Amino acid sequence: MHFLKGLILSLLPAAAFAAKKPAADKFNQFHTKALASTPLKLDDSVYAKLTAAPRDYSVVVLLTALEARFGCALCREFQPEWELLSSSWTKGDKQGDSRLIFGTLDFMDGKNTFQSLGLQTAPVLLFFQPTVGPHAVTDIGPIRYDFTSGPQSAEQVHSWIARYLPDRPHPQISRPINWVRGIAITTTILGTITFLSVAWPYMVPIIQNRNVWAAISLIAILLFTTGHMFNHIRKVPYVTGDGKGGVSYFAGGFSNQNGLETQILAAIYGLLSFATISLALKVPRITDPKTQQVAVIVWSGVIFGMYSFLLSVFRMKNGGYPFWLPPFF
Amino acid sequence: MAETVAEPFLKGNTGRNTRGILRLSILVLIAAAAIASRLFSVILDPWFNFRATKYLVSNGFYDFWDWFDDRTWHPLGRVTGGTLYPGLMVTSGAIYHALRALTIPVDIRNICVLLAPAFSGLTAFATYLFTNEMTTSPSAGLLAAAFMGIAPGYISRSVAGSYDNEAIAIFLLVFTFYLWIKAVKLGSVMWGALCALFYGYMVSAWGGYVFITNLIPLHVFVLVCMGRYSPRLYVSYCTWYALGTLASMQIPFVGFLPIRSSEHMSALGVFGLLQLVGFVEFVRSGVPSKQFGTLLRGLVLLVFGLSLGGLVLLTVSGVIAPWTGRFYSLWDTSYAKIHIPIIASVSEHQPTAWPAYFFDLNLLIWLFPAGVYLCFQKLADEQVFVVVYSILASYFSGVMVRLMLTLTPIVCVAAAMAVSSLLDTYLSLKSPDPADSAIEAGSNGTPAPSKKAAKQDGLRSMRQPLVGIYSTFSKMSVVSALTAYLLIFVLHCTWVTSNAYSSPSVVLASRMPDGSQHIIDDYREAYQWLRQNTAEDAKIMSWWDYGYQIGGMADRPTLVDNNTWNNTHIATVGKAMSSREEVSYPIMRQHEVDYVLVVFGGLLGYSGDDINKFLWMVRIAEGIWPDEVKERDFFTDRGEYRVDEGATETMKNSLMYKMSYYNYCTLFPPGQCQDRVRGVKLPDVGPTLNTVEEAFTSENWIIRIFKVKDLDNAGRDLASAASFDRGNKKKKTIKKRGPKVLRVE
Repeated sequence: MHFLKGLILSLLPAAAFAAKKPAADKFNQFHTKALASTPLKLDDSVYAKLTAAPRDYSVVVLLTALEARFGCALCREFQPEWELLSSSWTKGDKQGDSRLIFGTLDFMDGKNTFQSLGLQTAPVLLFFQPTVGPHAVTDIGPIRYDFTSGPQSAEQVHSWIARYLPDRPHPQISRPINWVRGIAITTTILGTITFLSVAWPYMVPIIQNRNVWAAISLIAILLFTTGHMFNHIRKVPYVTGDGKGGVSYFAGGFSNQNGLETQILAAIYGLLSFATISLALKVPRITDPKTQQVAVIVWSGVIFGMYSFLLSVFRMKNGGYPFWLPPFF
Repeated sequence: MAETVAEPFLKGNTGRNTRGILRLSILVLIAAAAIASRLFSVILDPWFNFRATKYLVSNGFYDFWDWFDDRTWHPLGRVTGGTLYPGLMVTSGAIYHALRALTIPVDIRNICVLLAPAFSGLTAFATYLFTNEMTTSPSAGLLAAAFMGIAPGYISRSVAGSYDNEAIAIFLLVFTFYLWIKAVKLGSVMWGALCALFYGYMVSAWGGYVFITNLIPLHVFVLVCMGRYSPRLYVSYCTWYALGTLASMQIPFVGFLPIRSSEHMSALGVFGLLQLVGFVEFVRSGVPSKQFGTLLRGLVLLVFGLSLGGLVLLTVSGVIAPWTGRFYSLWDTSYAKIHIPIIASVSEHQPTAWPAYFFDLNLLIWLFPAGVYLCFQKLADEQVFVVVYSILASYFSGVMVRLMLTLTPIVCVAAAMAVSSLLDTYLSLKSPDPADSAIEAGSNGTPAPSKKAAKQDGLRSMRQPLVGIYSTFSKMSVVSALTAYLLIFVLHCTWVTSNAYSSPSVVLASRMPDGSQHIIDDYREAYQWLRQNTAEDAKIMSWWDYGYQIGGMADRPTLVDNNTWNNTHIATVGKAMSSREEVSYPIMRQHEVDYVLVVFGGLLGYSGDDINKFLWMVRIAEGIWPDEVKERDFFTDRGEYRVDEGATETMKNSLMYKMSYYNYCTLFPPGQCQDRVRGVKLPDVGPTLNTVEEAFTSENWIIRIFKVKDLDNAGRDLASAASFDRGNKKKKTIKKRGPKVLRVE
């Protein structure tokens, strides 16, 4: 028994040595392919070959699902960045000094690989370090890069890769100049200037109109004080389900809200403010006593009803709130 | 009738005096109410400010400037004099010495405790002055003062014992604005200089001074755009800017920021703009209008090109500092989240949901837009200020909960204007005669169109002439409803203050099932334990939230505290908490940590504990050591943050997790071990600790303190030493020998 074990152990390095030669060729082979088009488009078999255990080069593989029916927005967003990264790396390192190969494995071509890796999500970036040669590491498993904080830029991934490739060349990313964007901006600016110079005489009365500015200011204030910025920053859903198939307009909890709540609350506040303004400014200017009496009753009623409703809504958000007004308990 | 009795007091000179006395007594009562409503419970917090004040009082002002605090940020220390806003401490120091000079013996602690309520009384008075500049209505100022006195949005930061910068800063904010309005109205150098003086005081007191630095230039800019440039504006702004900038640069912590950082650039830019506009106005008076147009166009283009080029050049060459993080997060709200986790982690930098507004301002929040609308009636310089302030403060408060404080004054002012205009209309005893006004309306029938044309830029609701209210019933109904709303407001404020803002973070109050109050005092228990059972210079490692409290209440050196000036040091603590024991132990040894303090709410259901904050520690540590700490490792494959059986290995092995749940399950019968915050069942076998040992656990398990073990006497590593102590000797020897095999040869 001991003897057998010893024999196998003594043979292992020899086997590794034997495998080393073709491995070097394997890199050159893939590298020439990469020079033609990078990242390499892989399928199950090429993937297996590329990442097979004795390798003296590094591999970065993006496992992605680009087809529209998978609805992977992140994959599609990252794809151009990925292509940019791999092409500028490969172009900057034509000799293959960094010994790094870029590959893309789409779900359509590599279902088995996805299955064997147990992947539930895409995209995933895997980094395979060399198992033999000067930069070999003991841990042969791939290092995984997760897209937890949204789409990443080529630069971020570049620095991540560079971290694992010390003392090897790290070709810089060269972003092509975005001509379309520059032209679009110039056109927009010129267009705006033209529009302004033509429309200026018509716009002056609007710009100088006090009512317009009052409306803009009040709308801004109403939106900001009803948590518009909260919706914007937290990206809350517009409405949520109540678990019974219905829709709940108000999110539970004091420091949480739905998108719709901002609109409901802005409407309530707006109505209350408008009623107050009417009582303070418009009603005293009504010359007919009867009309005035009716207006006072109507607006006071509106304030009372809306305020009562507002308090009841707030009681919904804050369970222990003790105050209320009659109609809405 | 009462009218006849009161008549002599309400007319002529005597009448004026009576009103003056009434006003004064009302204001005094408001101030008293403001102070009284802040006295629900008294616990001094934050302790750092109190410590600094004590140092100032006992060592004098110059020593305070040079104070190097070696009991925080161990082993770095902190140059305290140069890294704090000294206004608060200097104010209480000055009060202390003034009272001493008057031979009133008073303890500095009492001054610190009562400073915030006292200043809230002054804030009410400043609001009164400010509002009186805005409107002619005699009641608006008093209403605004009353609102300001009891609005929970302001009480939240100024209850007795809350000894923080905001305690005096809000008074300074309102008073500076009052002086500014006065300066603009009068165009006076004296008022401008006074405004600059109080601005300087504000700079010395609170980082929120940037709000003033941007609001006043914005006001001036809007006025210039509206074509309301006047020599008054020029004089007041130039006085304020020149003197105010000089004053602000006297604070070491601010230093040269006012001329270098981007937050202050708008003030400088408007200063330049005002010079140009002033020059143009001067030229206009001397040049015929036709040539003037050409000249103006050329000048505008030239200046625009030059300033843009200069700004870009200066920013690129690094003379002007780029936007600093805290402020930048106000504009680009996603910036801080990605780049500066330490800012995103502070709850005060979170956005505000609508219930918070209603909670803090109640009915004022819907009177606020009405008041702003009223400002559009007579859009003079000061009303423009209210409008600009309202919009800017609404935006800022929406982005950051803490800035609700800057919104509250203007909400009180605007709401008071709305309420007072209602009261002025509906409380008037005079009723118009229907016949009279009908005739008037008839006679107005013909000139009405021309009047309408003249009023074209006025408000739509103001076009008809004012008549008044006819029936007593209308008056009664509106006034009584309004009174009811105001009474609810008072009740609301009292309720909010007593329930939400009077339980300081150190003491937790909870309700028992029978409704009685139960006080949970674990923090103080633990700090007292530290004070009595540890060496004077024992270093305590905890997350930074508790740094000031440990420093103040336990009087022990800490590694990091609430003054988050050194991100790397905080990340070090984060790394020690989120790594395996073998990694954490050398870090703790290197920093000479003696005790580690964690906050654990699992037993009580206290949600503000360290496990819930843990991801921030991980994120902050990951920002510095992306290779060693990875946020992803703390989430399961399905992306869940779990602490129970299904938690990831990294999570289970992290020092924080182990310390939190160490021995926790011995409290429960087997199989029923439960975390009440996260509502999950825990595995029966808890984590084991090798490098630290439990030293103290408070009554409700909220605070747990662990002692960092010394190096092993026998030179073993601590893991094997601990396993030896646990009696695992046997298992080990077996392992070394390997499994017994039957010899066949």
